[in-house]
Amino acid sequence: MRAFLKKEWMELVRTGRLLLLLLIFILFGIMNPAIAKLTPWMMEIMVEQLAESGLALTAVTVDAMTSWTQFYKNIPMALGVFVLLHSGIFTTEYQKGTLIPVVTKGLSRPRIAAAKTILLLGTWTVLFFLCYGITYGYNAVFWDNGIARFPLLGAVCCWLFGVWVLAWMLLFSIAADTSTQVLLGTGGVVLGIYVLSLFPKLGNVLPVKLLDGMSLLSGNAFPKDYYASMGIACAMAAVCLLLAVSCFNRKNL
Amino acid sequence: MDMLTLSHVKKRFWEKEVLQDVSFSVPENTVFGFVGQNGAGKTTAMKLILGLLSCDEGRITVNGSAVRYGNTHTNRFIGYLPDVPEFYSYMTPAEYLAFCGEITGMPKPETKKRAAELLALVGLEQERRRIKGFSRGMKQRLGVAQALMNRPRLLICDEPTSALDPAGRKELLDILVAVKKETTVLFSTHILSDVEHICDELAFLHEGRIALKGTLEEVRKIRRTAAVELEMEHARDAGLLLRECPFLQRLGHNLLLLREPEHLPEVLGRIAEKRLSVLRVERMEPALEDLFMEVIGK
Repeated sequence: MRAFLKKEWMELVRTGRLLLLLLIFILFGIMNPAIAKLTPWMMEIMVEQLAESGLALTAVTVDAMTSWTQFYKNIPMALGVFVLLHSGIFTTEYQKGTLIPVVTKGLSRPRIAAAKTILLLGTWTVLFFLCYGITYGYNAVFWDNGIARFPLLGAVCCWLFGVWVLAWMLLFSIAADTSTQVLLGTGGVVLGIYVLSLFPKLGNVLPVKLLDGMSLLSGNAFPKDYYASMGIACAMAAVCLLLAVSCFNRKNL
Repeated sequence: MDMLTLSHVKKRFWEKEVLQDVSFSVPENTVFGFVGQNGAGKTTAMKLILGLLSCDEGRITVNGSAVRYGNTHTNRFIGYLPDVPEFYSYMTPAEYLAFCGEITGMPKPETKKRAAELLALVGLEQERRRIKGFSRGMKQRLGVAQALMNRPRLLICDEPTSALDPAGRKELLDILVAVKKETTVLFSTHILSDVEHICDELAFLHEGRIALKGTLEEVRKIRRTAAVELEMEHARDAGLLLRECPFLQRLGHNLLLLREPEHLPEVLGRIAEKRLSVLRVERMEPALEDLFMEVIGK
């Protein structure tokens, strides 16, 4: 499995995917406090235009919470780019037939699936917490992170949502034949769960709740409010990964 | 000893029975031609041997061990060259072979040594570029190198020459002949001249069944014609002989065909009597292509 992990890492680096993702996640990390910092200046520029249309602006207060709000708005976008760039994780190998020599040389299919999963989730974890760390650092420099309650737990919830999405993406990538099918499948599941979460009772336990880190940071929610959705996200991700391995064992390469 | 045996193998995809009771054996250290039209089921048979597909019925053994669908241990005896080998294009040939060595569990120093040997064998030892810029022929040669990396007892090549130009084909056939000393080669193709060049034995697969099998000599004997071809030095001599022996048939200016060999002494007598100049008298071998056409009913 070490050899295949090494190959996956080489692919990530040499195809330029890692560099692109690094740039995106660093950019998002910087953008969160930057947008917050620039908000008063932008408002000042717009104040005259707004006055003409009858809107009066009072003083805008900006703090760490403004930056964290941006973080929770931007992270789903970054996750979308991450999924888009990894949607061909298996399908590209099926289409090219590059897995056939690997399998016929005796590397077991579960090991191939495990290596790809480890690198995918590892990359997501590093990039996510890099983005979080950059935002946290700038917030600490410009404002005070102390006004945000449970910032790390909020981030872990958001990261877990990403893991849940990636588990679905892996399952679809193993089962499907093209990247479009993978994106449609993954997008369809996320959309379906989002629609279901509009029902209040379901909304409190489904994984989409994990994206609502701001309630946790602002004190409108408590860690125990997230335990059910965390548990369900973990269980669903585990089932997806088990199904993915089982499906890969039967896949006609 | 037989390196590979297929006994009563059947494979069906939905309603289509791709392989119907296929049985043949490949003796050790031979180059075995697996011949058939496109869509005859050659690739399916190879995937069954590799455990990439499951048999509906029958049994396949490699080096005496039964092949199982999925992660079959018999693959440690096998090297596989697909018809269009694809690689990780961001790797160099040496990196790809090192990767292959590592997944087969070879120790690092041996991997390095073997990779260098094989790159020299396929003429890619000077290539430092990534595989991305390789031509089809270069990829095919690298495909042979990766297939031989684990010193397989059986090398399976799926139509390796079908997409190559004549020079590339010759290079590849030369490599296959060179590896024959230490490896049994199963070679699927529909290019019959390749079979005639390098194969010791062959099997014709037609409509999911083995229509013909044996050594090249045995297969030819089945359809050996008794006809004799005579090539005269001058067209004038050919005309003269034709007048003396009207049972001859003219094939060209100075080329004659004798369909009934019992007349051969008479023809040779006339040639001597008339002091005609002969370049060649040869018993005609049926071309594999003729046999193939007969097998497929065209």
